[in-house]
Amino acid sequence: MNAIVFSAPFTAEFDANNQEFSLAGVIRPHSVDEIAASISMLKSAIADVRGVLHINLRRLVQMNNTAFQAISRVVLDACRARPDLRFVVVTSSVVGWTERMFTHLNRIEPRVTVEVYDSKFYPGQSFVEDTSFIPILRTQTKMTWRHERTILPRHGMRPGIVMADICCGIGDFAILVKKEFQPTRIVALDHSKASLDYARDMAARFGIADVEYTYGDASEMLLEDNQFDLVTCRHSLQIFNRPTALLKELYRICKPGGRVYITNEKNSHCLGEPRSQSIQWTYDEVAKLFSHFEMDVEFGPKSRRHLVDAGFDDILVESFMVTNLDGDPQDFADVIAAWEQVYAGEMAVKRGDPPEFIERFRQGFRDHIFAALHPKGYAGWPIWAASGRKPL
Amino acid sequence: MRAARKKPQETGFAPLIQFEMDMATFLSDWQHCDQLSTFMARMISHNRMDPIRHSNFFSFALNELLEVSFRGGSPEGRLDCTVYRHDLKERVRLSFRCPPGQQEFYREAIAKTHQEDALGRYLSAISMDQTPNREVILLDLAINFDADLHLEEHAPSDITFVADLPLERALS
Ligand SMILES: C[S@@+](CC[C@H](N)C(=O)[O-])C[C@H]1O[C@@H](n2cnc3c(N)ncnc32)[C@H](O)[C@@H]1O
Repeated sequence: MNAIVFSAPFTAEFDANNQEFSLAGVIRPHSVDEIAASISMLKSAIADVRGVLHINLRRLVQMNNTAFQAISRVVLDACRARPDLRFVVVTSSVVGWTERMFTHLNRIEPRVTVEVYDSKFYPGQSFVEDTSFIPILRTQTKMTWRHERTILPRHGMRPGIVMADICCGIGDFAILVKKEFQPTRIVALDHSKASLDYARDMAARFGIADVEYTYGDASEMLLEDNQFDLVTCRHSLQIFNRPTALLKELYRICKPGGRVYITNEKNSHCLGEPRSQSIQWTYDEVAKLFSHFEMDVEFGPKSRRHLVDAGFDDILVESFMVTNLDGDPQDFADVIAAWEQVYAGEMAVKRGDPPEFIERFRQGFRDHIFAALHPKGYAGWPIWAASGRKPL
Repeated sequence: MRAARKKPQETGFAPLIQFEMDMATFLSDWQHCDQLSTFMARMISHNRMDPIRHSNFFSFALNELLEVSFRGGSPEGRLDCTVYRHDLKERVRLSFRCPPGQQEFYREAIAKTHQEDALGRYLSAISMDQTPNREVILLDLAINFDADLHLEEHAPSDITFVADLPLERALS
């Protein structure tokens, strides 16, 4: 792989194995000469490949017309000279103008096509970006906040900080943090438009105006390096199929000396009494069901390893158990009912599970609710909260 | 042509931010276009629905206008840029000094952005030309950013662009 890094934060790379030419950062040259090295890299990439060349613009933050036209020129000329070659321009829905501008090339040369990579980019996406996931998120945060509000200060939360909540879901955590800890700035990012709409509505209803909700892919963010004192990412490394890529981005946007705080579950350790066996069976199956869709809801205890591997130091790991005794047991029951709805009602169906399986699967959730509401019952949901410091 | 001369609606736009700079200073470094557009975009986007993406879009459009004034300006007088807002739109008013005789060029270029064949012109420019000229940049803003562009004419050697940008709508 070749890479050219310019003084401005702009890189051009060619990956011969994947036949992929990538541009990233801010490309605003005064003249084509300034990007001559990248243009000739693109030309030799074209000479090198067979069949199809991918032009990856996922991380392209800015580009001016000079750069756009120079690249277009090379691509369109190549279409004329090489009838054997196709081009796939890979853009993101986050930077919408790239799609709009590059789609024009397709009108000129049908062998140039534009793909928006994040319209479908990880297996769990269709579930978590759907509105049906909203009741899960709403009930969960209500339960976890009781614990996290006391845990967070140990992980770098304090008034006046600049923070980001990445994979913010419906944004309730950001609002709670805003009220309790008064950060000076809070950016909240997610890739679910439904959740973000809900988040903005809720913030407006609470009269909170300055949470910066933003649509984006957490594994390829527009946010600049070294910006935040604290980056939180809750229950999401376990949902995205490339947690390492995501953690790398969290590290990147965190200030040196700042911290990244992550929470994750180990679903097979959910428990309840009475009816513990049925409950246990169902949560073992939850873990398998998620792994079918490349999500790792057993991630919690792996947090430490992931943080170490990502380069953090001063790592702190703790776990807490959300239980039916935390407050109104009905709140706990509501979480489980929301899980049953999506896990058994949607995900198991999507996997193609037979009705007998789904019925038994549902029973474990119902038994968990039974345990939660039982006058002598106990029901628990364990969570791992971990953070690491980005070295100075 | 008539559409191009139609005066943009004046009411309702409130100023958000303004900067002024000597043209000579502005023209001394190409990076000014990038730096000013990035800074202004951040300042005005913080209370938009999606501040980060709004800022990215706005920065694109403002940078192109600044680049036009960089390439076409002369090193006298001042560059004056004001951003206004009305509901879901931002307006950029950008004035700069240019060599005599340029007004006619801009008048025509802006008129073309309002003509029916704007897309056709734009496509033929990107399929033929080596580097973008100022006309293509204005077409790009009209076609890809839904900008509504106008020219105000005060003194013969001054150019004032008025660009209305409905970015909030484009982002939602
Ligand atoms: C289980 S939810 C957790 C939401 C929130 N943090 C909470 O605890 O309520 C996972 C969230 O991660 C988001 N997500 C997963 N992968 C993402 C990615 N690559 N970029 C942005 N958001 C992502 C989903 O849209 C979803 O809102």
